[in-house]
Amino acid sequence: MDKNVIPVGPFHPLLEEAEYFTLQVDGETVVDIDLEIGWMHRGHEFISETKTFTQSIYLVERICGICSTSHPIACVHAIEDIDNLEIPLRAKYIRTLVGELERIHSHLLWIGLAGHFIGYDTVWMWAWKYREPILQMFEIISGNRNHYGMMRVGGVAKDVDPAKVKSLLDILDEVQKKLEMLAKAAKDDPVLKSRLKGVGVLSKQAAIDYCAVGPTSRASGVPADVRKDEPTDAYGLVDFDVIVTQNGDVYDKLVLRILETFESIKICKQCLEKIATINGPILNNVKEISPGEGIGRYEAPRGEVFHYIHSDGTNRPIRHKVRAPSYVNIPTFKASCKGIPVADALITLAAVDPCYCCTERSMKIVDKNLDPFKVDLMKLSREKTDEMRREMKC
Amino acid sequence: MHNYEEFLSLMDNKIIRKTLKHKRLYFEVDNKDILEVAEHLFKKMGCRLSTATAQESYRGLDVAYHFSLDKTGDYYCPRVIMTDKQNPRMNSITPIIKGAEWIEREMAEMFGIVFEGHPNLEPLLTGNHPENLTQPLRHRRKNG
Repeated sequence: MDKNVIPVGPFHPLLEEAEYFTLQVDGETVVDIDLEIGWMHRGHEFISETKTFTQSIYLVERICGICSTSHPIACVHAIEDIDNLEIPLRAKYIRTLVGELERIHSHLLWIGLAGHFIGYDTVWMWAWKYREPILQMFEIISGNRNHYGMMRVGGVAKDVDPAKVKSLLDILDEVQKKLEMLAKAAKDDPVLKSRLKGVGVLSKQAAIDYCAVGPTSRASGVPADVRKDEPTDAYGLVDFDVIVTQNGDVYDKLVLRILETFESIKICKQCLEKIATINGPILNNVKEISPGEGIGRYEAPRGEVFHYIHSDGTNRPIRHKVRAPSYVNIPTFKASCKGIPVADALITLAAVDPCYCCTERSMKIVDKNLDPFKVDLMKLSREKTDEMRREMKC
Repeated sequence: MHNYEEFLSLMDNKIIRKTLKHKRLYFEVDNKDILEVAEHLFKKMGCRLSTATAQESYRGLDVAYHFSLDKTGDYYCPRVIMTDKQNPRMNSITPIIKGAEWIEREMAEMFGIVFEGHPNLEPLLTGNHPENLTQPLRHRRKNG
C-alpha cells in the first residue's frame, strides 16, 4: 500500500508559529506522525553566556511572550540555588502573585484558541474578553501588560502598592464570576463534549515515558506540579489544590485548565491579602554569585520550566541551559496522534499548548559575517519547498 | 532513610565523586554505568528526566542528566565526562527513556557528541538552517 502523507506546516494558517508535521494516514486515520522543528533560530543560551546575570533575566523574559515571567522566575531560582539565597517574605508573595496571574491569562488564551481551532469562535471571544482584566492587573502592578520586568536575584524589582490591593481584588472577583459562567457553559456544552471527549488521548504511561509536564501530564493522571513538589517563593505558604484528571483527552485538558484558573485566583487573593498587611523589603542586596551550579524551575502555565546555570564566580554564567515545557510535551504527539481521524489531529496538536519559540531557544548563527537581511530568504524558501515536493512526489 | 542515602548505598560502587547541595545531588559516573544508573533512577525510583546539559570544561566535555524525583522535590544529576574532545562518544539513555530523544539529538548537533545506541541522531534544530553548522556551541572558551 502506498503511504499517504499530509503535511502540516511549516507555515499553517491555523498555527501561529512555524512548525512542520507529517501525518502518515491510512484513509482518514493517522497511523504515524513525524515532527520537525528548527524553523526559528534564536540563540538565547549562547547570548545569555555573554550577558551579566541581571541582563540574562531580561533576556530570558523574551524567550516567550506568554510565559514571560515563568522563565525569569526559573532563572532567578537557578542563580539563587547556587548560593542557596533566601528572598524577603514580601517578595515571595509578589513573585507568586505575578506567576499565578500569568497562569490565568495563559490558560484563558489557550481556551480561546482551542475554541477557535474547532470553529467555535464564541468560546474564543469570551475567553479573550475575560483575559483582558488580567492584563490590566499586570499593567497596574508592573506598568506593562506583558514582559513585566519584575524578577531580580534576591527578590523583585517593583513593589505592589498596598493602596491598589482592593481594586486588584475587585478585578479578581469580577473575573471569577465570569469564569464560573464560562466553566459552566463549557462543561454543559454538547458541542464541546462531542468534539473533544475521547479525542487525542495520552495515556498515563505514555506521559511518564515521554517525561511530559504540566497540564499535559496532569490531564493523564500524573500528579506532578513543581508548586507542590518543590514549593519555592510563597507556594508553601498558601492554600491551593493540584488539579489532576484521568482521561488524558483534549476535553480533560480543557477542564483541567479551567479548574486551574480558579486555583490561581485563590492563590492570588491570598497573596494580595498578605501584600496588604506585610511590610518589609522586596529585594536583598546580592553582590556576587559564587562559583558553582544551580538548578531553578517553576511551574509555568504549560508545565515545568527548567533553567540550569553554571557560574565561575564572575558576573556572567559560563553555561545557561533552558528547557521549556513544550520541549518535552511536543514529542507526546507520537503517542496521542496515532489512531485518530485527520480532522482531530490539529486540536490534538494544539492541546498541549505548544510554544515553538520556547522550544527552539538554543541556536546561534556562527558566521558573524552572515547578515540575515542580505540572505535571499525567498529564494531559500522556494528551494526548500521544491525539495519537499520532490521528496513527497507532489 | 532519606532517598539520597538509599540511592548512594545502592550505587556506591558506580559513583566516582559526588556533591550534595540542598536537594541536588550532582555525581559523576563512568560511561559504562550511565545506563544502569539512569534505569535505576527512572524505573525503580520513579524519577522524571527534566533535561540534560552538555558543556565544555577543562577536563573535557561533560553531559549531566537532570532527574527530578517529583514526590520529594529532589534532583539527581549523574554526569559523564568525555576526555576525548575530538571524538566524544557516550551511551545513549534514549532506549530506556523516550523523553531523552530530543535532548540527546540537540547535544549531538550542538556539541558533536555521538550518543551510541540512539535510534535517530538527526539534527533537531539546525536541520533547516541555511548555513552548514557544525557543533555551534563548541570551542567558545580558551580551554574548550
